[in-house]
This record gives sequence, C-alpha cells and structure tokens, in this order.
Amino acid sequence: MTTRAEFFAKIRGELQRKPALFAASTAARPEYPAAQADTIRRELAERWPATLEAFRVEFERVAGVFHRVASLDDVAPAIDQIARERGARDLVSWHPASVAGDGLSRALTARGLGVHEMPAGEAADGAERARLRAVTARADLGLTGVDLAIAETGTLVLVSGAGRPRSTSLLPPCHIALFDRTALVESLYQVGVFLEAWHGDGTPPAAGAVVNFITGPSRTADIELTLTRGVHGPKEVHAIFVHGGLRG
Amino acid sequence: MRREAFAGFPEGEALRDRARAIKEATLQRLDHHLERLVGNIERLGGHVHYAANSEEARRIVVDIARRAGARMAVKSKSMATEEIDLNEALEREGITPVETDLGEYIIQLAHERPSHIIAPAIHKTKGQVAELFERELKRPVEADPEELTRIARAELRQKFLQADIGITGANFAVAETGTVVLVTNEGNGRMVTSLPRVHVAVMGAEKVVPSMTDLMVFLAILAKSATGQKLSVYTTLVRGPRRAGELEGPEEFHLVLLDSGRIAQLGGPLREALSCLRCGACLNVCPVYRQIGGHAYGHTYPGPIGILLTAMLEGTQSVKELAHASSLCGACADACPVRIDIPKMLIELRREVDERKIAPWIERVTFKLLARVLTRPALYRLFARVGRVLQRPFAREGTISHLPLFFGDWTRTRDLPPVAARTFQERWAAERERAR
Repeated sequence: MTTRAEFFAKIRGELQRKPALFAASTAARPEYPAAQADTIRRELAERWPATLEAFRVEFERVAGVFHRVASLDDVAPAIDQIARERGARDLVSWHPASVAGDGLSRALTARGLGVHEMPAGEAADGAERARLRAVTARADLGLTGVDLAIAETGTLVLVSGAGRPRSTSLLPPCHIALFDRTALVESLYQVGVFLEAWHGDGTPPAAGAVVNFITGPSRTADIELTLTRGVHGPKEVHAIFVHGGLRG
Repeated sequence: MRREAFAGFPEGEALRDRARAIKEATLQRLDHHLERLVGNIERLGGHVHYAANSEEARRIVVDIARRAGARMAVKSKSMATEEIDLNEALEREGITPVETDLGEYIIQLAHERPSHIIAPAIHKTKGQVAELFERELKRPVEADPEELTRIARAELRQKFLQADIGITGANFAVAETGTVVLVTNEGNGRMVTSLPRVHVAVMGAEKVVPSMTDLMVFLAILAKSATGQKLSVYTTLVRGPRRAGELEGPEEFHLVLLDSGRIAQLGGPLREALSCLRCGACLNVCPVYRQIGGHAYGHTYPGPIGILLTAMLEGTQSVKELAHASSLCGACADACPVRIDIPKMLIELRREVDERKIAPWIERVTFKLLARVLTRPALYRLFARVGRVLQRPFAREGTISHLPLFFGDWTRTRDLPPVAARTFQERWAAERERAR
C-alpha cells in the first residue's frame, strides 16, 4: 500500500519538473469574513424587498413553490393548506428552536396534523434513532428552517446540527422551509463570504457536519432526457417567507 | 468595505479564465493544499487513504467495507469508482453494490457501462428501461419516464435505509476546511452521505480546491456547463463524520485519494487535463462523440477529454487509435468551462503514438507516404490520376465500399469517397483557361 509520505514525495517530484504552466493565483479570500458578512446583512436589511423578489423569480424557475405570509401566526394556516391540498397527515419537523419556536407545532397539531418534532440532540440509543428515521421516512411533509436563501440561484442553504437532522428536508415527498429577511443573500459570491466566516472568525448557524444547498425539487433526466421530479429527494419544495420575522 | 462585500465574481468569459487560473494555481502547490485537506479531515475525525492505482483503491475500499461488516453498499454516481472497477471487487467479497443515480441504476441492471459522464443511460430508450425493470421486479411495467422514476424511487429508498456503507466520488474537496463536496440533481448523494453508518469518498488527488471562495467560483460555473442549470439541485458539503449532538450521519468517514497516473502528469504533457471538472460539456459538442456514442470509446471516460484521461490513467499505448477519434474541430476547447486545450494535447498524443512507434507499422508507413504525397503537388496530381484508374473495379454509385487485401480493413465499417472524375485542380485549371 502507498503511504502518505510516498504519495506526497511523488507530487513534489513532479512539481519540481514542471512548477507552472502560467502565472496564476487562487481566489482572493475576504480578510475578515465575519465583519464582511455583517456588512452584507446590514446592507441587505435596507434593500431586502428587491432581493426577495429576485429570489422568488429564481426559486419559481427551478419549480419551487413560493409563499409569503404577514406574520408567524399565518404560518400554520399556510402549512395546513399545503397539507390539505395533498391529503397529507404527518409532518416531521426540525426541533422548534431551529424553526420558529414552540407555538407553531401546537398550532399545527390543533389543526389536526400529526406533528413529529425531532429531538434537540442525539437519540438516546440505536432503537430510538431507528424509530425517528422510520417516522421521517413515513412522513408526508418535512418542515425546516433556512440559513441562507440565495437570490441569484433560488437556492436554500441548510446547515445540519443538533435538532436539525439532514433527513427532514430529504426523505418526505414534500419539503417546507420557513425563512425571513435575515436569511436573504444576493449571490454565490456572498455565500462564499458566509461560508468563510462560518469556518473562520464567525459563528456558524449550527455545528453539524453538513451544509446542503437545495435548488428546487429533486430531479432527473436520465430516461430519454425527460425531466422528472422527486426521484430520490422531495418532489415538491415550498419556501414560506414570513414578513414579520421568525423570531416574533 | 462595501465595495468589497458586494463585488461579485466575474461573469461569462472572465469567469472561465478565473476558474482555470484557480485550478492552475492549485496544481502549482498541490502538495500544500492536499496536506491542508488531509490535516483538516483527520482533525475532524475522518481517515485519509492513499491509492497509487486502481488495485490499491479497490483494496482500501473493500477493506473498509469488510471491517464495517457491510453486506450492501449504496453508491452515488461517481466516475472515480467506475474507473477503479469497484463494483466487481465488492461483489467478489459478497458485498452487493447498488448504484443509486437513476441512470447508473439502469445500466447496472443492464450490466453495462455509462455512455456519458453525466447522463450514463442516455443510450437507452424508455421501452428498454421498462423491460429491465420488469425483469428485475418480475411484474409488468409501463414505459413511461414518470412511472419508471416512481418505481426506482421506491426500490432504491429501501436500499438507502438498509445499506451499511455509502460510497461516493467527490466533485471537489476544500483544503482549508476539510470539506468534501458532492453535486447531484436527484438527492442520492445526500442519502448516501446521511443514512449509512460509514461513508467512503473516492477522489482523484487533483480535485482539491484551496478555499470556500474558490469553491463558489466552481459551483458558479459547473452546473451551467453540465446541464444548463444555474446550480445543480443539491450541492452537499460534508465535513467528516457525524458531529456530537447530530441525530444522524455516518460514524465513520474515509477519503481515498487516487493517483492512477494523475500525479505523473503534473510534470507531464497532459497537465492541463488535470483541470477537468468532469462536466461533460465537451462530449455534448463533439461531432465524433455525437456520431459514435460513449461506449465506442471503450474506456471509463468517453469523449474528447476521455481520450486524454484514458491516456493519463492507462498510458499512451491505450489510446493509439482513440487519439485519432477527433476531427480537431476545436468545439471541445470552446465549450470547456476551464479552457482546456484538448485539440492541442490530442495532437501531442498522436505525435507520441508515432514517435514511440506504438501504432502498427502499416499505419505508420501509410501516414509517412501520405505526408510525402500531400506535400508535393506534382506527386499528388499523379496519384489522383493513377487512383482514378485503379479504383474503377471498386467504385459503385459514387462510393467505394469494398477494397481488396489489407485495404479492406478501412472499408469494413465505412465507405471511401472515390477520386472525382474531374478533380478540383483540373476544373480550376480549365476555368482559368476559359477566363483568359
């Protein structure tokens, strides 16, 4: 078996033979990404309506369904309607602390939906983990928050972590994501600044191992180039924008 | 500060230049960036393995699977694991590999190989897919893409939930953060990296990028070149195994760094090809690929870039014929998002095939003679006249479909246009005469 030392020695040997094809540099990274991310947030707080509109256009272009509600109180009726139209009964949700607080689950339960909240941390044992996975695999709807909503591409960025299982936005056939203006960014470049900050001098939204970019529902064109949705991931992705904000 | 915060990436042509420069700059310090990557992955609790060739890579992955007690492995689409023939190796150990990309699943059922880098079953009709599913499920299946996709979802969902190990390739790996990046449209990449207890990623050593900022440049360019999307549906950034507090995710994370001839090309003539993102854009525009399809290339990577990658992985000897499977029209270089000069390297390969006398002697002699004739106008005209006489017994209805002796090899699969009754040069001379 090749060792690490052998592998690297070979690379260094070859690079000595041909150090460069042409003069080139990597991308210029932000010097203080956390401060720059704050600047982006501050600036966007003033002109978020244009960013939201751009997001809506792109999100709908990739077959996402966009909703806009005035306040947190209007979220449960909106989800209830999505559920009714699809004959959906069971909803699995990120832990409320990562979505919109405790009130939403109560309101959804009151409307007759079976709400299954994911725990705030790890499962007690393997059996409990298997049970939660089975619940998620059976659910009709998966409810999550959003860490970034990218206007340029209509993309939702979700960071995994405690209370934020990866499967909530993956296994159910319909994914519903709640967000407000604080998640909006304009471009992939800005996302780069946030990612640099989360891995550098800033604080990530959660401490999980995975960051997922979700740009519309799961799709394939593998059979005769015919576009088909929902092959492995959700067939539908809904984004609900809460005008009044998710934190009241 | 503001200008900096809202400056975007360059667009269009300038973005391609930027992407290419980042690739080249990364290769110039590949040792440094790979060491950062390895250090970060190990710090996160992941394991890194080094494979000089396919055989070592297979052995590493099979050992990991065996230690995990795996009986079934779910795989998301990965050219690297195609390249190392991983599935056969797993099967020999009693581990069932399940391809989960819909196209890969289809060709696995058909016991075939991918014909395109990003649309592996593009050569199959929906009727053929339905027949494959019928054989697998032992019940009638409607030949409708929507229905076939629904069936595949249900079948593969069970496998995702049961599998012990998930095997992926990697589109990129970010050195500064120890992140492996997977891009898929179906969501199988997410399944494979979230549900099984062990995740193994197999990646060519050249795929590392330095920072998250660099990664975003490539994400901005990759989907546009591959499928015309602004971004593929799922881009998954994975940093090692499941973290404390996480409900799910693999307990074990392994990255296998693959050499297989790549490293030798850092100092070799195919260095440019190490910048390839595997987007498939050069296949889609190649007139030769469009005529003959991916299988005709006979190796893991088809198309113009595939010829270069085959030469890189299996040696120049293996492309002695493929090096000529290009009209050198340059469409591939125009389409390439990182501006790889594929035609230039194909010509280099042809030269090498010739210089190292890899081609059969008859071919070499023929080309040498042809070169003599083509560079001497008088000799060329003479040969045209002789050819016109000699071809008489073989020309039928304006084509030559059968030649005698070893010339027959040429006409076995294609026609030869005959020498014209009056050549262009003769007509041109006559026209000039008349105009005078």
